[in-house]
Amino acid sequence: MALETSPQAPAPVRQIANAIAGWVDRLGAVWVEGQVAQVNRRPGVGTVFLTLRDTVADISVPVTCSRTYFDGLNPPLVEGASVLVHAKPSYYANRGTMSLYAREIRMVGLGELLAQLERRRQLLAAEGLFAAELKRPLPFLPGCVGLVTAPNSAAERDVLENTRRRWPAVRFEVAYAAMQGPRSASEVMEALERLDRHPDVEVIVVARGGGSVEDLLPFSDEALVRAVARTRTPVVSAIGHEPDSPLLDLVADVRASTPTDAAKLVVPDVLEEVRGVTWARDQVRAGLRRMLDREQAGLDALRSRPALADPRHLLDVRLDEVHALRDRARRTLGHALDRAADDVGHQRARARALSPLATLQRGYAVLQNGDGHVLTSVADVTAGDAVSVRVADGRVHATTTTTEQLEDPGA
Amino acid sequence: MPEKQTEQKPSYEDAREELVDVVRRLEAGGTTLEESLALWERGEKLATWCQEWLDGARQRLDDAIEKDEG
Repeated sequence: MALETSPQAPAPVRQIANAIAGWVDRLGAVWVEGQVAQVNRRPGVGTVFLTLRDTVADISVPVTCSRTYFDGLNPPLVEGASVLVHAKPSYYANRGTMSLYAREIRMVGLGELLAQLERRRQLLAAEGLFAAELKRPLPFLPGCVGLVTAPNSAAERDVLENTRRRWPAVRFEVAYAAMQGPRSASEVMEALERLDRHPDVEVIVVARGGGSVEDLLPFSDEALVRAVARTRTPVVSAIGHEPDSPLLDLVADVRASTPTDAAKLVVPDVLEEVRGVTWARDQVRAGLRRMLDREQAGLDALRSRPALADPRHLLDVRLDEVHALRDRARRTLGHALDRAADDVGHQRARARALSPLATLQRGYAVLQNGDGHVLTSVADVTAGDAVSVRVADGRVHATTTTTEQLEDPGA
Repeated sequence: MPEKQTEQKPSYEDAREELVDVVRRLEAGGTTLEESLALWERGEKLATWCQEWLDGARQRLDDAIEKDEG
């Protein structure tokens, strides 16, 4: 029922207020889930005023309930508690304020809380926010480490000290945020985004000491989980002690069990690394030296071989060879000569034995003509021929005067 | 006669391998005097090259270490 109004026919405030009241009533009673942000309960006032904050968005709504009901709540309602409220919106015309009148407030018990967390985890998991392939590796040596933690908290000290002990030159960019209470999730998100934008920060650690499930609730906050999923810089979640595992652990790139453990994950133990590098370098040098020594030994062995070390040996061998050959040659020659000599002597003796010399020595002589033919018949000679007569010790050269034929040469 | 090597220095491994071969052939004998002399001279040159390679390497190693401790 739209209200017809115009500058000429304006509606009085009471009419507008009533209209709003009508509209507000039309919502009816609803079950609302939220986190109790503020509680102000003043003695002597019949109504308790609360502020209920949305778990995700930065929106809250005033809630009123009767003091008697409020006091009867068990466990008592405390700030930061998650609650389910059955309430009906009501508009107080006289003050123009709207608030939810809570008829029933249910504490979200631990079991209920965990169930709620589990539902949220499944929801986010289904969306793939926890997918393994989204996990980014941490830089081996980060230029600057971003840290989201509570100011001068144990967690801060743990992270800073342990990281610096491992790598004294590490640079930190700390962004403080409430690590507990209703403002925590949004402050952590804001700090996280600021560090994510920071150009030098290469890894962000969100560190907090141990606490109850409620204390760690902000770190399962859906908006915070989505914020972490959006960051470009790798995130290390270091919340509470080993058993604690808020949703932040699942969405973070790396989960550290404690702030100290986070220090070990973000920077290598540089002293150890340096030792490793030095060791490796020494190994390489030793290896090279061993190889050089081995090659040198090999070369020395080769060079000491007589064939190279002592060329004279090479020549001496040949010289000896030559001498040996020469000596053999000489010996052989000597033998040959001896044999030859014997042979000659022998031949000469035989020749001599066969030779007419002895006959000549007995007074015979051999008659030869000019050209050395032996003459055996007077017919072979004519007067005036030059002849030579071979006697034992030489030759007589003569000229034939006459020849005389004997009748019976044999007698 | 060993094949004529251009004067370009062979690598350490090649030089060392040829040196081993030269020594083997010298010790096996059966080469002419002329060949033996040539082989021996070749052997000497190869040995010198190898030594130069090794000395160079050792020097570079010592320099690196010295630079470190300097």
